Amino acid sequence: MSGVWYLAWRYLLWHRWKAAILVAAVSLVLYLPLGLQLLVEQTARDMNARADATPLVLGARGSPLELVLNALYFSDEQPPTLSYAVVAELRDSGLVDPVPLYVRYYSQQVPIVGTSLDYFGFRQLQLASGRQLATLGEAVLGYRAAADLGVGVGDFVVSSPQSVFDIAGVYPLKMPVVGILAASYSPDDEAIFVDLKTAWIIEGIGHGHQELTRPEAASAVLKTEDDRIVANASLLQYNEITAANIDSFHFHGNDAELPLTAVLPVPRSDKARVLIQGRYQQHESLQLLEPRAIIDQLLATVFAVQRYVLVAMGLVALATTAVVLLVFLLSWRARRPEQDTLHLLGGSQAAVLSLMLAEVIMVMVLSVLLATLLVVLTHWFGGPLLKAVVL
Amino acid sequence: MRLLQSILGFALLSLVACGQGTGTQTPSNSDGAAKRPLQISTVNYPLAWAAQQLAGEGAEVHFPAPADVDPAFWQPDLDTVAAYQQADLIVLNGANYARWRARVTLPDNRLVDTSSAFTDQLISVDSSPVHTHGPDGDHSHGELAFTVWLDLSLYAQQLQSIAAALAVLLPERARGIAAGSERLSGQLMAMDSELIKLGQQLDGEPVLYSHPVYQYFGRRYRLNGRALHWEPDQSPSERDWSALGELLKQHPATLMIWEDKPLAATRDRLTQLGVEVVVFRPLGNRPPHADFESAMSANIARLRAAAVEVP
Repeated sequence: MSGVWYLAWRYLLWHRWKAAILVAAVSLVLYLPLGLQLLVEQTARDMNARADATPLVLGARGSPLELVLNALYFSDEQPPTLSYAVVAELRDSGLVDPVPLYVRYYSQQVPIVGTSLDYFGFRQLQLASGRQLATLGEAVLGYRAAADLGVGVGDFVVSSPQSVFDIAGVYPLKMPVVGILAASYSPDDEAIFVDLKTAWIIEGIGHGHQELTRPEAASAVLKTEDDRIVANASLLQYNEITAANIDSFHFHGNDAELPLTAVLPVPRSDKARVLIQGRYQQHESLQLLEPRAIIDQLLATVFAVQRYVLVAMGLVALATTAVVLLVFLLSWRARRPEQDTLHLLGGSQAAVLSLMLAEVIMVMVLSVLLATLLVVLTHWFGGPLLKAVVL
Repeated sequence: MRLLQSILGFALLSLVACGQGTGTQTPSNSDGAAKRPLQISTVNYPLAWAAQQLAGEGAEVHFPAPADVDPAFWQPDLDTVAAYQQADLIVLNGANYARWRARVTLPDNRLVDTSSAFTDQLISVDSSPVHTHGPDGDHSHGELAFTVWLDLSLYAQQLQSIAAALAVLLPERARGIAAGSERLSGQLMAMDSELIKLGQQLDGEPVLYSHPVYQYFGRRYRLNGRALHWEPDQSPSERDWSALGELLKQHPATLMIWEDKPLAATRDRLTQLGVEVVVFRPLGNRPPHADFESAMSANIARLRAAAVEVP
């Protein structure tokens, strides 16, 4: 290291707190616009990729954004429900292969996605371990959900009750984990998948209970009139579906009226896509959306906000630059005796100027390195963070 | 300043390179596997026979229930469920047949419910008690009669459902499938006409069924039948005989239609009561040494022979 650089380096080390503050200020000025840009672009890319992979979403009329965020990203928005009859209607059209979704319940903040096996094929999800859903009450977990919950194949997950005060409401359902999905780098990694019927059982629409004509259920029977039996709330209802009690599980009412939060109609061709969109364009109670259009609208808002933030950051950068400049000029003036000493020791004016310049360059280089480190960290961890905030 | 630009440029280029490795990924589509015949799984023998007749060599048809069980009440194990999940087409009977279907997870878009075109013609045999145990009000776990194929006109409709599904999956064989569907429907309707004539010949004479599986058969061919719960391989108890005696007072049948040959002692005692036995196999499972068509023809022949004897 030449003398000038060595002296500059020693000066910065000696005045380490002043140097650190300068490096931090310049780093932030460099990092913030870059980091924000990177964060927004990364999130936009991920969200668009998911939207592009989902040609259509059908749901009940209401907020289009809520519907798309719930159907694609399993967000905690609760769109109004539509009836299961729509699935048969879509399938009978011969234009699309419908994939039903019922995303309403959670297990420790992890969304439980009730769907059909077709969902796994549609999203090209592969099993990393275990097996696919086979019977009622089983669960397959995304790899991150499994890691977050600390469960593996053979363990159990339990659905969370909607309200701790709803003591007569939905019972938690204990579900065995039969499979873990391989990473797909999508919201599917962070979900619990169950059969649609299992999701309805979690809701309480389907349930299993003691056979009312059996002696062991006698204490729960209030009265029997001809072929009608009235039982009280003490009737034992099962909170886990096992081989022993699975036959007792049943659903009330017509299957066609059971609820869904959305259907993903997968068009069989471009022509089919246009035709099915035409059919639902003027529908009174349903809306058929192109997720990409909805996500583009959301991102347009995000980009608009980003522009305002960047302008504000530009102003802050100007102010910071002025302050840094001021710091260096004041420092230059305060160090006049030091410069005089260097001259007396035989240092030329150019050497003294080089020393000062070397200090500035060192501060700038350190700032750029720190800003780069922050950008890399943002790239690795920022996307999920922003998505967690947006969704 | 140039140094700063270079460092920033390098950092961004590195990020782009990293991004290509860690961003949203779409798993590759492993379509490299050799093309295999269409895999069709069914829940009973009539559907398996119809699917094989229609698809010919274009498909492998699987009906995994063992030969000695009633597929309506059979419960597949996990491996069998997994095999059903791998099928390209899963042919269901509808009418709540194969109750296991409601308890397992199958790919909905590969299911074809062959009774969906005539749900308004399904027969309810609700016998479970209505009960109430919560805010949802009264409900019962109702049942539907499921041997729809014994009404051969309904079976012809099931066949057409299968043909329609196959035509989508095997477009190159669509014409052959349509021709096969027409031919088989013709054969079924010919047998149907014959059974209608036999029903007219019986002219409302009381008959008995050994088991309650002939609802659609009785309705289509206008048989005046009452069902018992007798098993061909079991001797009825004295209580059963007594109940039969009481029933015969109200419903003086001279013909009893059985799912399979009853025990000789049972046949003899029925003969003593003036009740002739005729075997009309429902064919829910594979008939021994026959296919659906020949077994149904044999059923009709036996019924025709028995009908001649009815006074």
